[in-house]
Amino acid sequence: MSSTDIGVAKRPLEKAISHLSDWEGFLLAVLVLTIIVNASMSDVFLTVNNQINLFQLSIEKIIVALIMTLIIINAEIDLSVASMMGLAACAFGWLFLHGVPIGLAVPIVLLIGVLGGAFNAFFITVMGLPSLVVTLAMLIGYRGLARVLVEDRGITDFPAWFDALGQQPLIGPFPLSLLIFFALLAFLVVVLHFTGFGRYVYMIGNNKEMAVYSGVAVNRVKATLFIASGAISALAGLLFAARVGAVRGDVALGFELDIITMVLLGGISIFGGRGTLFGAIFAILIVLNLRNGMALANITHHLQTGVIGVLLILSVLLPNLRSMLRQFRETRASARS
Amino acid sequence: MKIASKLCVSVLLSAGLATGAAADAVMAKKGMEADMVLLPKFLGILVFDQANTGAQEAHAELENPGELLFVGPTPENSVAGQIEIVTTAATQSRDAVMISNNSGDQIVPAAQAAKDAGAKVVTWDSPIPSGEAEDVFVAQVDFASIGEVMAEMAHSILDGEGQMAVLSATPDAANQNAWIAAMQTALEAEKYAGVELVDIVYGDDQSEKSYDRALALVDKYPDLGVIMAPTTVGIQAAAKAMQDEGLCDEVAVSGLGLPSEMLSYTLNGCAEEFALWSFVDLGYLTYYTAYLMATGQISGEIGESFVAGRMGEYTIEKDPTRENGNRVLMGPFTVYNMDNIEAAAAE
Repeated sequence: MSSTDIGVAKRPLEKAISHLSDWEGFLLAVLVLTIIVNASMSDVFLTVNNQINLFQLSIEKIIVALIMTLIIINAEIDLSVASMMGLAACAFGWLFLHGVPIGLAVPIVLLIGVLGGAFNAFFITVMGLPSLVVTLAMLIGYRGLARVLVEDRGITDFPAWFDALGQQPLIGPFPLSLLIFFALLAFLVVVLHFTGFGRYVYMIGNNKEMAVYSGVAVNRVKATLFIASGAISALAGLLFAARVGAVRGDVALGFELDIITMVLLGGISIFGGRGTLFGAIFAILIVLNLRNGMALANITHHLQTGVIGVLLILSVLLPNLRSMLRQFRETRASARS
Repeated sequence: MKIASKLCVSVLLSAGLATGAAADAVMAKKGMEADMVLLPKFLGILVFDQANTGAQEAHAELENPGELLFVGPTPENSVAGQIEIVTTAATQSRDAVMISNNSGDQIVPAAQAAKDAGAKVVTWDSPIPSGEAEDVFVAQVDFASIGEVMAEMAHSILDGEGQMAVLSATPDAANQNAWIAAMQTALEAEKYAGVELVDIVYGDDQSEKSYDRALALVDKYPDLGVIMAPTTVGIQAAAKAMQDEGLCDEVAVSGLGLPSEMLSYTLNGCAEEFALWSFVDLGYLTYYTAYLMATGQISGEIGESFVAGRMGEYTIEKDPTRENGNRVLMGPFTVYNMDNIEAAAAE
């Protein structure tokens, strides 16, 4: 099997490395520049404490952005992630309020994530509906459920050890959520760029029909990704609850846009098949460093949002401009000859 | 004998403290350096800009060579944004963070980090419910008296008999929740037996949402007589909703509003009567309190008195509306109606 599909898609690792030279290279340069500017503007920027905070303040978003990268490379999208985070946090709050011990509530909530992901996957694979529509519906559905569960109130007073897991360092200066982020990143890099499954993710994203005819279990790959997305979103919701020590119906509201922004900024094509986790991680680091740098420079949040927006437009515009330029040169060259 | 002398000493001491406090209320020493952050619930609401005006006034008056920053989150990102700003203030080693808390107890971890980094945490407008990680709360008016005034306004609008519903801000807003609770307590009095509180809904301090919630209330309770909105966003949205639907004769709107925003609704009878205090003064007093604490001139202990510039003398006391926490009480507030609103709106 593995020998036959090399002709279909270039080897992912080679592809990743050759790709690194252009868009990822540009991102890396932007990242280094951002860090240099930040470090020169603020003397606290490079402190361990600030570097940890830089991740912690957006940790739930960037954990979900990792799995979102695979889904978008697969030429699908999951808009329901933030609502699932909200549902998970609220379900956890509800269970806690009704006396369910935390040791039991956590697995139940993760199971809700798996089921939610499987629900999405069912409509997308078995029924063949577009993921944009299915997950848009669930964006509304899961959020509604979350609001029904906690109504118009906040649930707080979780045990101190649970809050501490979200707030305090666990190993060295690293809190649990940051360790989870790095572990997930390492795991997904291996899966996407070094395994057959990862190759299928690209193949399906490039050309679904061709993948089907090559005997790839397209539905199984897609279902795996959406179930993983549901479970990871639920986990992120739990981490949010622990970090702020309280939940209410609007937990993670609107986070899906920030998450998708980071992925697209990483050079992952919204049409699938193109991009790498390295691009995604560079983009994540750029956004986090920009936000942190602007916060330390006391730039107000309205402007921060605007800057990130401009960056996204550039990320879509620049690669297109380049290919347009190339096309223009080619037509001129062929016209001459 | 021992006990008696101890008692004697403590009585003398407390008497001395009491008279001493009254006599030497701390006069602020000007020109001491402290970097201050004023954090509203979110940007884009007039009252918070007014509070900033008051804080800037005090900042200039006290000739603080440090910085006074007014930074806030966007409305749709209020909780995460407040946490981020307080965390950043801790990183920057600011000397004082003044928070109008919109995050319930979710702000506690970040506020604690700021305290650990040496900042004074002063809340204003809305406190940290648990009182944890907070040095002192600058309360606008006595929470119990807000409850009584709202009950009284409902009573007078309804002529003693009828249904009332509350349109509040966010479900987690500690100040609104405390005022509503105080109103419910006030309503238990014999005098208000005819006033029935039928529902409490939340418009999240967003105009459109509050507008929709107000209309939904009218649909749900056909006999509703008054919508009480203890938030400047909610009262304006509710008054506009009643005006747009031509319902002002049946359903009156009252609560806490800004004269400049409510002028037309009071004159056209949609919101005949409402109350508020000055947010400029609140910002001014908050700044004085935080400045004195950040520069070590007061420590925030119960019983300490200080002079807050043009506003006069204040004393730190135990906050009676929360289990934990100290407060400085600003007070009083004004009830606005046809007679005084035009003058107030012109200010």
